[in-house]
Amino acid sequence: MSAFLRVENLTHIYPGKIKALESINLEIGEGEVVAVLGRNGSGKTTLVKHFNGLLKPTKGNVWIGDMNAKKHSVAKLSAKVGYVFQNSNHQTFLPSVEQELRYGCENIGLDEETIQERVERVTELFQLEDILETNPFDLNSTQRKEVGMASILAIEPKVIVLDEPTTGQDHAGSERIKEVITMLKEQGHIVILVTHDMQLVGELDCRVVVISNGKKLADGAAREVFKDKAMLKEASLEPPQVMTLAEQLTSFGVNDHVLTVEEMIKEYKRVKKLDINKQLQTS
Amino acid sequence: MNSMYVQGNSFLHQLDPRTKILFVFSIILFVFLFYDPMFQFLVTVSLLPIVFLSGLTTPYLKTVKFMFLLVFLIITVHGLYNPMGDVTKVTWQLTENLSFKHDALIYGAVMSFRILSIGTATLLFVMSTHPSDLANALVKWKVPHAVAFMILSTFQLIPIIGREAKVIMEAQQARCLDVKANMIQRVKHLIPLFAPLFITSFMRVHQMSQVLECRGFSSTGPKTSLREMTIGFRDYAFLTAIALFALAAITLRAVVGGTLLPITDFVLMSALIGIWIVCSIYFFDFLWKSVRKKVV
Ligand SMILES: Nc1ncnc2c1ncn2[C@@H]1O[C@H](COP(=O)(O)OP(=O)(O)O)[C@@H](O)[C@H]1O
Ligand SMILES: [Mg+2]
Repeated sequence: MSAFLRVENLTHIYPGKIKALESINLEIGEGEVVAVLGRNGSGKTTLVKHFNGLLKPTKGNVWIGDMNAKKHSVAKLSAKVGYVFQNSNHQTFLPSVEQELRYGCENIGLDEETIQERVERVTELFQLEDILETNPFDLNSTQRKEVGMASILAIEPKVIVLDEPTTGQDHAGSERIKEVITMLKEQGHIVILVTHDMQLVGELDCRVVVISNGKKLADGAAREVFKDKAMLKEASLEPPQVMTLAEQLTSFGVNDHVLTVEEMIKEYKRVKKLDINKQLQTS
Repeated sequence: MNSMYVQGNSFLHQLDPRTKILFVFSIILFVFLFYDPMFQFLVTVSLLPIVFLSGLTTPYLKTVKFMFLLVFLIITVHGLYNPMGDVTKVTWQLTENLSFKHDALIYGAVMSFRILSIGTATLLFVMSTHPSDLANALVKWKVPHAVAFMILSTFQLIPIIGREAKVIMEAQQARCLDVKANMIQRVKHLIPLFAPLFITSFMRVHQMSQVLECRGFSSTGPKTSLREMTIGFRDYAFLTAIALFALAAITLRAVVGGTLLPITDFVLMSALIGIWIVCSIYFFDFLWKSVRKKVV
């Protein structure tokens, strides 16, 4: 079976002849987490807005399962592809968190029982029990972001697009988002995140797609892609700091196949142990 | 993308905003002095070379089509249904009880060309004047700085709010809100679209006031401006020309009266058909573009 989300030869030209994407090909299968990376203005948002039909291809096609995104309304596609906007203020308008969570489900016409059940599920997931009656605008930005994400997850879309989810989040917020992404992956969802947060990408240890000037520069496991220094330079990207550190320490026997702080610690212990063994042998 | 200003370096761009404001007012004066479609038409047409010379042709044509829609409705509906003047004087009998009446058509044509000429003059002003220059001009006319800034920031907020509205629309569609639903549902959908818009706009304005205070907005005493402007020879020449025209027009009005030449049916028919033709060109252009979009 072919991949659930397929982008075929996608080109997008904005009014005013601004070519934002050029001949992008991409296949994303179930249970995959994909980070879309690139500098500001490279075309990341333009790419992911095609997934729920907010933008229609100038050339090429986007397939969501057996639906051609060109031929369906955003409202319809959004039941399959949830899109969490960067600024949650843009979607918030109801007087309580609970109503916000219900809203999307009501739009797709679910029955009361199912809605209840889903609202409970996302409430638990984000631990929103205490603020269900609160007005979303009285929450801090981390909580508001979580409500925004929860209200999309309640629709239970197969694909979830997160546009810069950790930007402006405090540490706890970022951690929770990371946990949620991992959980969604395990449940077989597709998660696509647009981000500048390299540490997050490292810790998710996911597939990355690098976009530069509207073209796909690289596509593969973060560990592999981040080794291509020339490509990263062209896309103005910096790998996670800990990876750079490991690379600087290869002469001490550190393996540069390191992506997270935890791996680095393990690697350090391994090298240290070798070192001690060597010292013992020589003495 | 701020306001409707189009960058340029033409004669009109270099004029002082105050000169241009006087220019717009004088056009308004001209077209209200006379009740003669031919005169209004001449005023409109004589503004077109200025549009061209200022390099504003494309943005002008894009904006003026909305005016043409209005003008089309005005001349057609007034011509057919306005019961003013002598209703027995018919210019064009369409069917047994549907006809364009002479006096009503005059009214419709006068109104149409008034809208077009005033609209054109205003567009010339707005498109050739940087919003900050407008604020400066107001300050020079002793409008309090805060008031001038209010007007300026309104100009600049409109496109920002427009962009915001688009994002909100998308965010709500992403929550399965069907914006292409039927009329009644669309009215209901105004709440999800407008509530966030109002809230974010208030937040933005609140934030802006703090940013301004941090940069000393409310300090007292005279303020200087980054964009200095002076009334120069160019402005005096332009103002003199306007004054001469105004003098001539007022004299003409006093001597000849509101109508310069007898208004014939031929003139009225040309006005009516002319407006229809321009409108249909815009309409077919629109159709052609939408068809092409569908095909691609
Ligand atoms: N609505 C639009 N109209 C015209 N150009 C746009 C629009 N949105 C984005 N662009 C342009 O398309 C390019 C890609 O933008 P975007 O996808 O937002 O980049 P990113 O999300 O990677 O920062 C940029 O050059 C941007 O200026
Ligand atoms: Mg973006």
